[in-house]
Amino acid sequence: MALVVRSIKRLSVHFLLLIGVAISIFPFYWMVVMSTNTTGDIFRFPPKMGFGPHLLTNIQHVLQSINFAGSFINTVGVSVAQTVFVLLFDSLAGFTFAKFDFPGRKVLFLILLGTFMVPAQLSTVPLFVIMAHLGWVGSFKALVIPGMANAFGIFWMRQYAQGAVHDDLLDAGRIDGCGHFRLWWHVGLPVLRPALAFLGIFTSIYTWNDYFWPLVVLINPNRITLQVALSQLIGIYSTDYSMVMAGTLMATIPLIIVFLLGSRQFIADIAAGAIRS
Amino acid sequence: MSVTGIATGREEGKGRTWQRAAGYLPVYASIAPFYILFAVFGLFPIFFSLYISFHSWDGIGPMRFVGLEQFEYLVTDNNFWISIVNTLVIWIMSTIPMLFLALVIAFLLNSQIRYRGAYRVAYFIPNVTSIVAIAIIFGSIFGNHFGLLNSVLHAIGLHQVQWLNNPWGIKVAIASMVVWRWTGYNAIIYLAGLQSIPGVLYEAARVDGASTPQIFFRITIPLLRPVILFTVITSTIGGMQLFTEPQILVGNSGGPGQAGLTMVLYLYQQAFTKNLFGYGAAIGWGLFVIIVLFSAINWRVVQRAGVR
Amino acid sequence: MSRSLTRREFLKAASAGIVGSALLGSTACSSPASPQRASANQRVTLNLWYWNRSIDDKILAQVDQQFPNVHLVPQKIGGDFKAKLLVSLAGHAYVPDITGINADISTYFPDKDQFYNLYDFGAHKVQREYLKWKWDEGVTPGGYMIGYPMDTGPTALFYRYDLLEKAGLPSDPDEVARAMPTWEAYFEAGRKFQAAMPHVHWLDDITTVFTQIMAQSPKQYMDKEGRFIGDGEHVKRAWDLSVRAHQMDLSGNVAGFTTDWNAAMDNGSIATFVGAVWMKLILEQAAPDTKGKWHVCRAPGGAGNNGGSFLAVTKYSKHPKEAFEVIRWVQSPPHQLQAYVEIDLYPSAPSVYSSPKMNHPEAFYGGQNTNLVFSTSARNVRPGYFGPGYDIINPIYGQYLTNVETQGANPEAAWHATLDEIKRQLSHQGMYKK
Repeated sequence: MALVVRSIKRLSVHFLLLIGVAISIFPFYWMVVMSTNTTGDIFRFPPKMGFGPHLLTNIQHVLQSINFAGSFINTVGVSVAQTVFVLLFDSLAGFTFAKFDFPGRKVLFLILLGTFMVPAQLSTVPLFVIMAHLGWVGSFKALVIPGMANAFGIFWMRQYAQGAVHDDLLDAGRIDGCGHFRLWWHVGLPVLRPALAFLGIFTSIYTWNDYFWPLVVLINPNRITLQVALSQLIGIYSTDYSMVMAGTLMATIPLIIVFLLGSRQFIADIAAGAIRS
Repeated sequence: MSVTGIATGREEGKGRTWQRAAGYLPVYASIAPFYILFAVFGLFPIFFSLYISFHSWDGIGPMRFVGLEQFEYLVTDNNFWISIVNTLVIWIMSTIPMLFLALVIAFLLNSQIRYRGAYRVAYFIPNVTSIVAIAIIFGSIFGNHFGLLNSVLHAIGLHQVQWLNNPWGIKVAIASMVVWRWTGYNAIIYLAGLQSIPGVLYEAARVDGASTPQIFFRITIPLLRPVILFTVITSTIGGMQLFTEPQILVGNSGGPGQAGLTMVLYLYQQAFTKNLFGYGAAIGWGLFVIIVLFSAINWRVVQRAGVR
Repeated sequence: MSRSLTRREFLKAASAGIVGSALLGSTACSSPASPQRASANQRVTLNLWYWNRSIDDKILAQVDQQFPNVHLVPQKIGGDFKAKLLVSLAGHAYVPDITGINADISTYFPDKDQFYNLYDFGAHKVQREYLKWKWDEGVTPGGYMIGYPMDTGPTALFYRYDLLEKAGLPSDPDEVARAMPTWEAYFEAGRKFQAAMPHVHWLDDITTVFTQIMAQSPKQYMDKEGRFIGDGEHVKRAWDLSVRAHQMDLSGNVAGFTTDWNAAMDNGSIATFVGAVWMKLILEQAAPDTKGKWHVCRAPGGAGNNGGSFLAVTKYSKHPKEAFEVIRWVQSPPHQLQAYVEIDLYPSAPSVYSSPKMNHPEAFYGGQNTNLVFSTSARNVRPGYFGPGYDIINPIYGQYLTNVETQGANPEAAWHATLDEIKRQLSHQGMYKK
C-alpha cells in the first residue's frame, strides 16, 4: 500500500514537472519548426506546427547572406575569454568579500552593488567615447575588457561563498600556511564549483547573445560577433524569418553544449555532500 | 556565517599600521580588478550621463545647458510615472511566481528523481531560445484575434481576450514572458545553491521523520538564504530595468494605452528614437534612484524574514 | 563652429571624469576603421552604413572596380540602425563617410552642418533624373541638400478582389478606383461590403487610415518656419476620418507588423488596406494562402508616399567628393532598376518606371501589373515638408487614436489630449512655435 502511495506521489511529481517542460520547450520546438519551413508557413493561420523540408535551404541562405563561420569563431573567442576572466576575478573578489574582514569592506561592497544598479543604456555613448580614444573601437577588446570583472558575478560569488565555504576549512588552511590566494585556490574554489558552473554558463550565454554593445562598437564588417551578423538578416522592409530562425538555431547549439557541460556540476549526490561537510 | 579574516589572526601584539596594511594587501588585490575596471570604464560614463542630464542634446549637434529643466520635466511627466507604475506592476506579477516556481523546481530536481538531467536541460531551454523567435511566438500566443491562447479559451467556452489591446492583458503577457524566460535560470541558481547544503542534514531530518514540505521550509529555505537574497536583488534590478520583453511584444511605444511602457523602454524611446539624449539621461537617473530604494527595501525584507 | 563648441563641452564633461585629457581632438578621428589601403594605389577608403536589403549588394561589390581611386567598405546593419548611427555621431568618432537615413530625414535638418551639402558636388546636375518631391525631402528649407534619393514608398489600395466580387462590389482595379475616389466613398463601400460579408472587416486598423491620409497630404505637422500646424484642418480631417472608420465598425483592429495582422490577412478576415509598395512583399509572406486573390488600385484620396530612404555624406568624411560620386553611381537610374528587380526597392528615378523589367503580370496579384498603379502614385505625390519635430509628434497621434480604437476613449477628448501632449513635449524641446 505504502509503495502504491509512493509511486503515485512520484508520478504526480513527474506529471507536474512535465507540464513545466512542455511550456518551457514549446517555443524552442516552434523555433525549430519555423527553421524547417518557409516564412509563409510561419505566418499562416493556423500556424504550421510540424516539420517542413526547408531546413537545408534556409541554412544555405544564411551561409550565403552572412559570414557565419567567421563570426562564429569570433564569438567563441570572445565568449571563452570573457568567461575565463569573469570566473577568475569574480570568484576571487566574491570569496574575499564573503570570508574576510578589512577596512572599507562595507562601503566598497555598497559601491559595487550601486554600479550594478546604473542602467546600462546610460553608458552607451560615453563608453563609446572612451573606446574611441583608446583606439579599441572595432576591436574585441572593447567587448571583453570592460566586463572582465563584474558586480553581478562578485555579488553571486559572495552570496554563495557565505554558505558554502566553512570557516573551519579556512582555519585549517591557514594552519597549513596558506596565503590568501592559496586559500582561494585550494579551499575556496573546490567548494565553489557549482557556483562557478552557474556563473560560467551565465557569462558565456550572456556574452554569446549580447547584441547592442557589440553592434555599436564593432565597425569592421569582417570582425563582428554572431548576434550582430544574425541581425544583418533583418531587412529594411521585410525579412525572411525562416532563414533567421535557421540562423539562430545554429547559433543556439553551442549554448546547449555549454549548458550540458556546466550543469554536470549540479549533481545531487547525497554521499558527496556528506563527504564535503 | 561569521566573518573570520586575517585581521583577527594577526592583530594581537603587533600593532604597527604598515604591517597591518601589508597584511591586507592580498585582500585588496583580490577585489582590485573590479574597481580598476570601474574607474576606467564606469566612472566617466556616470559623470558624463549626469552632465548631459543638465543639457538639451539631440546627440548630433551642440549641447545646450538647461540646468534642472530635464528633472523638473521628469517629475511632471505623466509618461514617466506611468512607466514606473507599469514596471512595478509587471515586476510583482512576474517576480513572485517566478522565484517561487524556480525554488520548487530546483528542489525537485535536486532530489533523487529520475531523468533529472533531461529536466534540467528542458527548463533551461527558454534562456537560449532566440529573441526573434520569442517575439514571433509570444505574438502568436497572445494575438488579439487569432492568438493560440484565444483559440484555447474559445475551445473551452470562455470569453476571448484582446490581450495586446488591454492594459492588463499586456501586463499579463509581458509578465508571463518574463516568468517563462527566467524561471529556469533562477532554478539553476537555486540548484547551484542547493549543492552547498550538506546531504547529511537531509538524511538526519528524514530519520527524524520530517516530511518533504517540512524539509523544504525548515532546512532548504533557511540555508539558501544568501542565494535567495541574491535572486531577489538581481530580479529587482533586472525587473526595474525590464526592456527586451516589452520591446519585442509591444514595440518602443509601449503599446495601447502605453500599458507596456517600462522605465528603460521609455529611456530608450526618448534617447534613441526621439534623439532626446539629455532627457534620456535624466530618466536614467530617476530610474537609478528608484532601483536603489527598491533594492534596499527588498534587501531588508529578505534579511528580516531570515531572522525570525 | 558648433562642433568646436561641442568638443569644449565634452572636455568639460571629461574633466569631471578621469579620461579628460584623452578627449582632446575628439572630432579628429573620422574613420580609422579599416587600415588605409591607399598606399597601394592611392585608393581612398569610404565607409558606408546601410540597411540590409536597402542597396543591392552586387552593385556595391562593383564600386571598387568602377572607381579606381576608391575602396568601399560597406557595412550592413540590420536592426537598431539609428541607435548605432546616433552613438557614433554623439561620440564624434568612427562616423561613416556615407550613411543611410530613413524617411525621417527632416529630423536631421537642425544639424545639417554635420553633413555635406551635396549641391556643392554638383548634385543639381542629376536632379531632374529623380522625382521632384522625393528630391526635395532631402533638402532643407534653406536649400542645403543632405540626402540623396534612394527608394520610395508610393501607396495604393490593396484589396481582395474575390471578396469584393462576392459582396457585389466592383472588383476591377479601374472600377474600384473610380468607385472609391475619396475616403468617404471608400468607407461607404465598406459599409455595403460588411452588410454582405458580416464576418470580414473592411480595413485593418484606424491608425493605418490616419497614417495613409497624412501620407497623401502636402502639409504635415510643422511648416517651414517651424510653426506647429498639427492642429490644423488637414490633420483634424485625417483624425475625424479615422474615428469615423472606427464608429462605422469598419476596422478589424489588427495593427500592422504584428502576427495578428499576418494571420488576419492569411485567413481572409480583412478585405482591404491602404499601404506603400513595400507592403507587397510583407503581404506575400504573411498571406501565402491568398495568392492570386489580391489587386491594387489608386488609393482613396489619391497618391501618397510612405517610407523610402536617403544616402548622406557626413562631415566626418575626408573624401566627400568621392563619396558623392559613389552615391550617384550606386543610385543611378539603371542601378535603381536593378535594385527593384533584385530586392523590390521601388525606384525614385521615374525614367525606369516604363522598363519592361518593372512591368509584368504578377501572380500574387491575380496577374495584374501592379507597377502601373504604383508608378502613377509615385509621380503624383504632392511634395510635403515633415519638419524637425516629426519623430516626436507623429507617434502621439497614433498613440491616442489607438486609445480611441481599443480603450473606448472619447474621440474629441482624445484629440485635445493629443494636442496638449504634443505641445507639452515640443515645449520641452523648445520646438513649440505657434
